[in-house]
Amino acid sequence: MLQDGAYTAEVYKSNLFKLQVDELLQQLKPKYGKKEAPAEKAMWTLKTIIEQIPSRAPLSIPDSETALESEKIVIPFPNPRPPRDAKYKMQYDRPTSINAIGSYPLKTTTRAEDELAIDLAVTMPKSLFQEKDYLNHRYFYKRAFYLACLAAGIRGSKEHKFNASFELLNGNQLQPIIVIRPIRDGNADDFSASKCRIHILPALPDKMFLESKLRPDSNCIRPKDSNDKPESMRPKPTPFYNATVQSDASISPYLKFLHYSSSKCNAYKDACILGRTWLRQRGFGGSARNGGFGNFEWGTIIAILLQANLGDGVPPLSSGYSSYQLFKATLQFLATRDLIKAPYAFNSCYNSSDFSVSTAESTPIFFDGPRNINILFKMSPWSYERLRSEAELTVDMLGDSVFDQFDSTFILKANAPNYRYDTTLEVPLAAFGFDSMSETHDQDILQACRNMYFILARALTNRVTTISFHMPNQGSWPVTSRRPPEDQKRRILITFATNPSYANRTVDYGPTAENKKDAASFRQFWGEKAELRRFKDGSILESVVWSYKHNSTPVIQQIILFIIGKHFSAKLAGEAVFTTDRLGHLIPSGRIVGKSGIEPFSPLMTAFATLDKDIRGLEGFPLQIRHIIAADPQLRYSTVEFPTYASKTFPHTPASVVVQFEGSARWPDDLAAIQRTKIAFLLKVADLLSSSKSTYVTRVGLENPSQPSLNQAYLEIILPSSLSFRLRIHHDREATLLDRQLKDKSLDGFSRESSALALAVYKREFQHLPAHTQAMQSMCTRFPALSPSIRLTKRWFDSHLLSPHFSPVLIELLVVRTFLQPYPWPVPSCATTGFLRTLAWISRWDWRHNPLVIDFSTFLPAKGSTDLTGGNTKGLKAEDLDKIHLSFEAWRRIDPSMNRVVLFAASNIDPQGTTWTDRGMPEKVVAARLTSLARSATGLVREDDDRLMSRLAGEENRDILSNYFTAEALFIPQLKDYDVVIHISSDLSRAGEKRKESKFKNLQIQLESQELGDSQKIGYDPVELFARELQEVYGEALLWFWDPEALDVIAGLWNPSATAQRGFKVKSGWNSLPVNTYKQGQKNNQGETSHQVEIQINKGAILNEIGKLGGEIINTIEVR
Amino acid sequence: MPPKPSKSKPDPAGPPSTPKTISGFTVLALTLPTLACLKFTTTSLSTPIKHCLYIKPHEPKTPSPDDAKSLFIANVPIDADEGSIRSLFQEHLGGAKVARVEFDASVPGGVVYKRWRSEGGVGNASAREEMRDAKKKGMAGGRDGGKEQRGKKRKRDEEIVAEGVIEDEKSALPKIWPAELRKSGSGAVVVFVDKASARGAMKEVKRAGKEGREVAWKGAEGLGVQRYKSHHHLQYPPKSVLQASITSYLTQFSTAELARNRLRSKLRSVPDEDGFITVVRGGRAGPARLEDAEKKKEELEERKKKNGVREDFYRFQMRERRKEKEGELRRKFEGDRRRVEEMRERRGKVRLEG
Repeated sequence: MLQDGAYTAEVYKSNLFKLQVDELLQQLKPKYGKKEAPAEKAMWTLKTIIEQIPSRAPLSIPDSETALESEKIVIPFPNPRPPRDAKYKMQYDRPTSINAIGSYPLKTTTRAEDELAIDLAVTMPKSLFQEKDYLNHRYFYKRAFYLACLAAGIRGSKEHKFNASFELLNGNQLQPIIVIRPIRDGNADDFSASKCRIHILPALPDKMFLESKLRPDSNCIRPKDSNDKPESMRPKPTPFYNATVQSDASISPYLKFLHYSSSKCNAYKDACILGRTWLRQRGFGGSARNGGFGNFEWGTIIAILLQANLGDGVPPLSSGYSSYQLFKATLQFLATRDLIKAPYAFNSCYNSSDFSVSTAESTPIFFDGPRNINILFKMSPWSYERLRSEAELTVDMLGDSVFDQFDSTFILKANAPNYRYDTTLEVPLAAFGFDSMSETHDQDILQACRNMYFILARALTNRVTTISFHMPNQGSWPVTSRRPPEDQKRRILITFATNPSYANRTVDYGPTAENKKDAASFRQFWGEKAELRRFKDGSILESVVWSYKHNSTPVIQQIILFIIGKHFSAKLAGEAVFTTDRLGHLIPSGRIVGKSGIEPFSPLMTAFATLDKDIRGLEGFPLQIRHIIAADPQLRYSTVEFPTYASKTFPHTPASVVVQFEGSARWPDDLAAIQRTKIAFLLKVADLLSSSKSTYVTRVGLENPSQPSLNQAYLEIILPSSLSFRLRIHHDREATLLDRQLKDKSLDGFSRESSALALAVYKREFQHLPAHTQAMQSMCTRFPALSPSIRLTKRWFDSHLLSPHFSPVLIELLVVRTFLQPYPWPVPSCATTGFLRTLAWISRWDWRHNPLVIDFSTFLPAKGSTDLTGGNTKGLKAEDLDKIHLSFEAWRRIDPSMNRVVLFAASNIDPQGTTWTDRGMPEKVVAARLTSLARSATGLVREDDDRLMSRLAGEENRDILSNYFTAEALFIPQLKDYDVVIHISSDLSRAGEKRKESKFKNLQIQLESQELGDSQKIGYDPVELFARELQEVYGEALLWFWDPEALDVIAGLWNPSATAQRGFKVKSGWNSLPVNTYKQGQKNNQGETSHQVEIQINKGAILNEIGKLGGEIINTIEVR
Repeated sequence: MPPKPSKSKPDPAGPPSTPKTISGFTVLALTLPTLACLKFTTTSLSTPIKHCLYIKPHEPKTPSPDDAKSLFIANVPIDADEGSIRSLFQEHLGGAKVARVEFDASVPGGVVYKRWRSEGGVGNASAREEMRDAKKKGMAGGRDGGKEQRGKKRKRDEEIVAEGVIEDEKSALPKIWPAELRKSGSGAVVVFVDKASARGAMKEVKRAGKEGREVAWKGAEGLGVQRYKSHHHLQYPPKSVLQASITSYLTQFSTAELARNRLRSKLRSVPDEDGFITVVRGGRAGPARLEDAEKKKEELEERKKKNGVREDFYRFQMRERRKEKEGELRRKFEGDRRRVEEMRERRGKVRLEG
């Protein structure tokens, strides 16, 4: 076991990873036992049936069709359909062999899907084909006839009944196959218990056609009019066609090769299963529409990389690797090698230039010489790009030495559109205007997608990082009918991953005017949008300029729709449905403008910088200022609303700022006296500030009236712009004094407890809050979408009335986690993805057993003059993580019922983990409510993804509205869940105030002049004060919920455990009512029922008191 | 009284009557004014709303001379204040005269001071004596009763607390709330002018309960927006008022600090029963000296590093270290295995998403 432990740490990412991988593998592998037995029996039966199918004499094409028609089978001829006057004949003969192939016999299949697919290859006899049959689809016609005969044989079997249908192999219309499913009749042939389907694949005998004829650079489809053209014109190569023929010919060579690999390398099979799982979670599959990279391609690439290439010597992968090493190294290969620019040719006499034709079409090349095939021939440029970026991401996350990335590598579904992409475009297939009955339909669509891909890529440049196209696969069809045409109600989904820094750039620079050729091409590409402009630096360039303001159409949308309209059709652009950042509009300025998402806060930040300068510039102050640090969500770009100059009627809460002076011996050495001295300093600052800046309004406010050792006062500074700040003084001696009191045994217990509380408050307010603010500031500048994501997430907490129970810092930590550990996705690039992924994580967070851990380190600024993190800027190490886990476990041991600490959130700048969540922030009930709300939200999102998928498949709901997700649905509070709902009178709630603001501008001015003056009103919020008092007065009987941004309702829940009927107690903590309790069966001497007096919560009186306390604040109180 | 989880059932004979007494307390039901804003969806709550006070003579654990003329009220309304309690007795309960009312738990609470342990603990004998002396002179405060009452009873200018000073009108910061609220379900001690009025009041309470007299409750006035508006106003006192309060505080503080230092220096020099001298803080340790100490500590550590025996000098050290490392690896692996097992137990089989 020890060796195992020591061993895995090196060869696997970590013990934890290895153990989880083992479990996963064990779980996924089919047992090859009882469950699979019926399927294996069915395979034998099929084999027997096929072996007994009689031969058919050669038939011409029309004859063959009529012959099979009589057996009710339609030959699945590929497009273009065979000429009726063809001279060659169709023929059926007993197959030379029937073998199980693919992952099932190799034992690399998994039970992850609903249905296991077992491949059965039927090798056609050589005698059916002629040497030149590879030309002009002749082979495929014969293959289709052969397949039809097999289908007829299976259908015609008297003893055995199976459900046979046709399907395209890998979505390739040249390669139909038969799919056998059980008839669920419970007979001997019913293998439904195995949950399998059997594919019957016709295979070409090995070496049937000359290898050289099927090279990627040869042509196998001769142009019809080739005779008219001069000999010198070489016809265009047909790599896709050639590879398809070759793939039929290499079925059994691959079976042998993969078997060989799995016997040579122990971990090969496991590596295949890991790869399979990874691909599945990212939506990759062998079918061309799924990307053309599936399990076969994965397994083959590993097998080939385990071989030494000619002349290279050492193989890229070693057969001694562990499954994890094979998996990671293969991903690394895919991520780092650009197979379009640098094709990989294995044991082949070709070099890169031989692939110029394929690479010109942006098809990646991984050429398997011995089997003469480019195994990536089905890949499109976008699927290859997507594969590479996914591989890159996974290599990145496997490189994470601190956090275990097992779930994000294998368990999470990484390609759910709502989480993966921020921008999508849905194009109805019909809008392309192709004839679905045409023989070239599949080809046309593919070509259109290609064109669109290249045009969009050119138009969007670095605004997007990936573009990809998604179309649902075509299903199977009955053997008795022709392949149905593509349903024109289907849609193509185009997804974009944007780069938030550039996505909404307003100017695109083109070539200079002198560069005639490029300029002409630029003009041709952009049409009327292109203009010649002179720029500030004097250059004269072709350019395209877009206009963009808040809430107007995003630039990227303008570009996409314009360019589609120009290069395709206006109809297409008109019918395309564009979505980007769907929830961004729910917060003011939620969409990123310019290069970052923090722009709306710039007035406040500028004001803060000015204030800093002004305070430092004060002359005659007795102490030197060490630093002035922001400690407020507004100053870390994290509030839903942002302060502006304009809204004078609805002023923002003053932003907290902490000032620290240089050390001085003049401070008293007593906590209470320090607090008073601070007030004296604040008065001095106020005095000097108003004399040097007469426009500033200052006032000293008091707080914590019952705790003389806590901070007692702050200085409020109101700028002429109505922006305001709250300045508190930080004196670092307080920590020492509090610490000393904690250890001083001569103090009574009560006092020491209050010191402990004061120390926690001190650390939070003066150490962690400034450090956190600083860290978040740099995070928000680094990740443009972070600030909007935090604000949107806070809005969600607000609208579900949860905010009073969560420290804003905790919410910020939850969101920043999505950015610092974005895996399995890249860093979010808009508010919506940031928010949705955060919710998804919350819904998965098992907070009873796991802490939240954040590592800011990689992105924190270098140590500056104001290093608040106490030299702790170094990143988290695995040991640190262990320590955090230890202290988390310790908390759970001492407080197993989670009365004090429920959530645990640590970071490298605050490893303690309880700073923001101690003392029931939130309580267990509220945390559970958060989880359940997040779960129902992710459920809605998942439903929306499903709807999208069915839209793509053409199954449109009749009701158009229900096809699209109503984003707002995520933000509607469920007031019916609460026992008490206090409706706030609309003159006082913020929501009401906002409505007023927009409605009657003139009334607003009148209101303003009433009562409190402008600056007097700052920070005045009666409803918030009322809500806080309710919490303090009734905290034990009721849990209170409200939305601090709207303040239109305050909702309460009776605390069921605290307020149950009980025996009398002097300090019950809630307003009670005595009640008589009679016990049945117990009678006293006189024969009367003995009774006892207990107390019950007096709900009526409590509500009456609340009504009185609130007075005119309350409109109505609803009680359930 | 232990809570009874047994099923309760209303009296089959008639409507449940409210009990008159509970655990030695007399129940006094108060009638509350009706409010228009209340909307009930269940009828059970819409019956006339009463508030119940539980009243009995005051008998605290640590007796005091005032006990005989006091009553204890449990479950006071949140809007109770001295005036409303006074008028309750004055107008409805026979007109007994109330001297003052001490509330248990107010919002915001009264000022909390830090104090020394008064008995037991680690303080040595002479220190305790010193404390007792101080107590006799009415100087030091032991913990007794509610936290709020502590400061009030003593002469403020003479008492010494562990930190700061007991504030008086001059040194206290201006109040920021116009009136305090009471925590729901908290209690109050009502002190009457004399024993007779207290006894009379109690009798009257019992009678009122028996008669089922209608006693209307009138709580404090000035709640609602008015209260919050004035709080907002009071939160920012005039600068001159603040300045004056700080000045007098700091003067009182230096007097108190002198007294504290005397107490400390006495503690410093006197051995306890076992002959040990308790080391306590004395004199000043300014920030400058603190920094020096840190520096010295660092220097010492540096020297230790240079002169000490190197850890990889002997072979046995290396061997032991290797062993330790192996043990560590083993422990870690076991720990990880346990974690994965726990995980499996919690969520069952691994299931791929989607």
